[in-house]
Amino acid sequence: MDLAAIDSYPTLTTTLCRHCNEPCRTGSIACDTGNFCCAGCEAVFTVLHRAGLDAFYTCDVQPGTSQQLASGRDALRFSALDDAAVVDRLVTFSRPDMARVTFSVPSIHCSSCIWLLEQLWRFDDGIIRSEVDLFRRTIRVDFRPHATTLRRIAERLAAIGYEPSISPEDATRTTASARRRLHLQLGVAGFAFGNIMLFSIPRYANGAPLDPTFQHLFDALNLLFATPVLLFSAAPYFQTAWEALRRRSMAIEVPVAIGLGALYLRSVLDIGTGRGEGFLDSFSGLVFFLLCGRLVQHKVFDSIAFDRTYRSFLPLSVRVQRGDDFALAPLDRVTRGDTIEVRPGEVVPADAELLDRPGRVDYAFVTGEQVPVAVERGETVRAGGRAMGDVLRLRLLTDVCHSHLASLWNNPIFAKPKSRWLTAIAVSFGTWFTIGATGLAVAGGAAWWPDGSASLNVATAVLIIACPCALTLSAPMTLGAAAGFLAKRGLYLKDPAVVFDLSRIDTIAFDKTGTLTATDAQQTIERGGLSRESWRLAQALAACSTHPVSRVIASGFDSVAAGQAETARVSEVIEKPGAGIFGWVNGLPVAIGVPGFMATRAADAVADHDDRTFVRVGAERGWVRVFGAVRPGVEAAAQMLASSHSIWLLSGDHEGERCRWLSVFGPRMRFRQTPHDKLAFITAAKDAGHHVLMVGDGLNDSGALAAADVGITVSDDTACIVPACDAVVAGNRVADLPVFVRYAKRARAVVFLCFLVSVLYNAAGLTLALKGALTPLASAVLMPLSSLTIVGLSWSAMHWSARRMLKS
Amino acid sequence: MTVLILLIVAGGTVACGFLVAFVWAVRSGQFDDTRTPAVRILLDGQHADASANERVHSIG
Repeated sequence: MDLAAIDSYPTLTTTLCRHCNEPCRTGSIACDTGNFCCAGCEAVFTVLHRAGLDAFYTCDVQPGTSQQLASGRDALRFSALDDAAVVDRLVTFSRPDMARVTFSVPSIHCSSCIWLLEQLWRFDDGIIRSEVDLFRRTIRVDFRPHATTLRRIAERLAAIGYEPSISPEDATRTTASARRRLHLQLGVAGFAFGNIMLFSIPRYANGAPLDPTFQHLFDALNLLFATPVLLFSAAPYFQTAWEALRRRSMAIEVPVAIGLGALYLRSVLDIGTGRGEGFLDSFSGLVFFLLCGRLVQHKVFDSIAFDRTYRSFLPLSVRVQRGDDFALAPLDRVTRGDTIEVRPGEVVPADAELLDRPGRVDYAFVTGEQVPVAVERGETVRAGGRAMGDVLRLRLLTDVCHSHLASLWNNPIFAKPKSRWLTAIAVSFGTWFTIGATGLAVAGGAAWWPDGSASLNVATAVLIIACPCALTLSAPMTLGAAAGFLAKRGLYLKDPAVVFDLSRIDTIAFDKTGTLTATDAQQTIERGGLSRESWRLAQALAACSTHPVSRVIASGFDSVAAGQAETARVSEVIEKPGAGIFGWVNGLPVAIGVPGFMATRAADAVADHDDRTFVRVGAERGWVRVFGAVRPGVEAAAQMLASSHSIWLLSGDHEGERCRWLSVFGPRMRFRQTPHDKLAFITAAKDAGHHVLMVGDGLNDSGALAAADVGITVSDDTACIVPACDAVVAGNRVADLPVFVRYAKRARAVVFLCFLVSVLYNAAGLTLALKGALTPLASAVLMPLSSLTIVGLSWSAMHWSARRMLKS
Repeated sequence: MTVLILLIVAGGTVACGFLVAFVWAVRSGQFDDTRTPAVRILLDGQHADASANERVHSIG
């Protein structure tokens, strides 16, 4: 067989889109203003150009984002924003002359975005001002409610290429008040730390107590500064510790709270009895460093918020039949038995029966099937399917919360928060540490017993020095830094602790459609065997069929334009659905189909080879193979992961591409997997003691993503993220997965190194404490020093590793 | 040496002044977004005080 004639399309040209700077492929637009990759980009460019806002393109490098996905969106998708209930929920502040709304706009990424979006008032008289938050990717719009509406604002944003993501439920992210509180706590602790140091250093420098007037004044001032630190700044640690003890569980905050409490009480005691100056400098310093760690954690957590449920995929409102008319109603008010209208591009909210004209439904997101399914009148359309081509009129068979889609969601796997390995370690470590420290304190106290004061000194000194502050810092600092560096490279973690889980996975399950292959319609075609003229005849026959492979053949290859085929004369066509098509074209017998079909129709015995579709024109034999475009580098990445992990393919699609992936996954492939199958697979693997990473994209993976130790969602369109995942990876970064896993392993090693260093510090301090030689000065040096060592070590190690391992 | 007391009181007052300023800054939202203003200051021509005839009425 002639394998030389392999074409692959689309061919890349060097023309770049004027808006998004991506290569213009087939279907690109060239007009007098420039070249555009798609109609969406051209539309956005035109709006900006007409508004005289061309400076958008020069503010920052490549500010435009591709609008290819935008063209498929329903023009009426924001109509739900006209509904009063929806408006009420979204508007955060409302006065007759001004209202305020905050939209999450995932495509905000550069200074050009700020420049453009803060001039939103140019597009609408009703908009007073708009303010972008680059870090959280939100835009806050102040507008006059009588002059414009939420819907118009959302449509204007979409028109300039910034599609707002409107979720039916509010994403849980740290609230502004919680953030401000943390800043205040940190500020108070830092203020107290500095001032207490100022009043403590004279005493240390002097080597002996100062003049009583000054010593008393300084002690009093120190107490004055330290008390707000205890009551306000350190409050979160005492609260968490108390909560943990009340639930009879353990947390790393327990020994921290004990240590902080011992520091403060011992200091009050020392100052009160006039025995010494206390440890208030160490105390405030510790609280300050601990809060710094907490701030790092918050920053990472805050930069992306993607807590979604299945409802994020359903429209905000649907058109429901009320009497003779269809009126828009919020999803909550739609119940079983209602008749609804679903327009092309919209998602069916609940399982429903098709009432009139047959239509097509795309289940790609729910099941992973690439090909839209034809639905006849009276057939059931499942929730989550996307209407294609025509308006569907449906009668709902279930309530929204009882659909097949929601039933997956009701699985207990979604109910409880995922247990993190780091939490488990912290809990067992906290228990061990608390028992050890209190035990040692009691033992130390007992050893000095006859001397009551020395005994108390030693016991409190042990509790003070055993406060695992450096230990507490090492995980948030290291993992926070790691999560930050990973985010720069396209892997966004929901929680820095995910790094720890990622570092110990041994089994990886991949979804196929949308994960290994890109979801867009760009398909790769391989073909061979026929002459150009014969392909033209095959193309003419294929035009008679609606099968996806036929459609690809009929749509033409880059060397044969679709129009040429129409001149051919086709007759006596016989199609056997799913097997092949036969007919006479220009007097020649032409057959296209699977081997079985070819044997009966064309009396042609061909070996089943890969997943090819065979073509016979007269005496000439050829073949064609179509696959979804595989993301570049993904195969190599999977092969690399296979050397150290056991990797699986779990696909909701049919087995058509089994051969395509055989070399990568071998026998470890499962096709036609329902969401429940995938979930069961992951659960079984976990029960067998494996640590599983699931990489998926569709709603059909959400159960598996939630069940896996780490669930990573692949997303081309950050506006649409699968619920229940732990991390999101940009579509073009899937191939970097092996590096991400290695980096996570490095992060774990750094955390353990930090653990070791801080334990060494604690051991050194403990020997001093047990000897009864822990002076305030020793503590004031040792404790900040250990914290600073940890912070410096963890950050620089992760930064250095990021530069070596992660290439941007 | 009593002058030290005076110095401490003066120093403490100044320090407390800064603490109050910090609290005010946090409460007024200056720490809510620490990235965007740094970029925004480098951009020009986006003030909403422009006259209405500058507004764009045709969109899309």
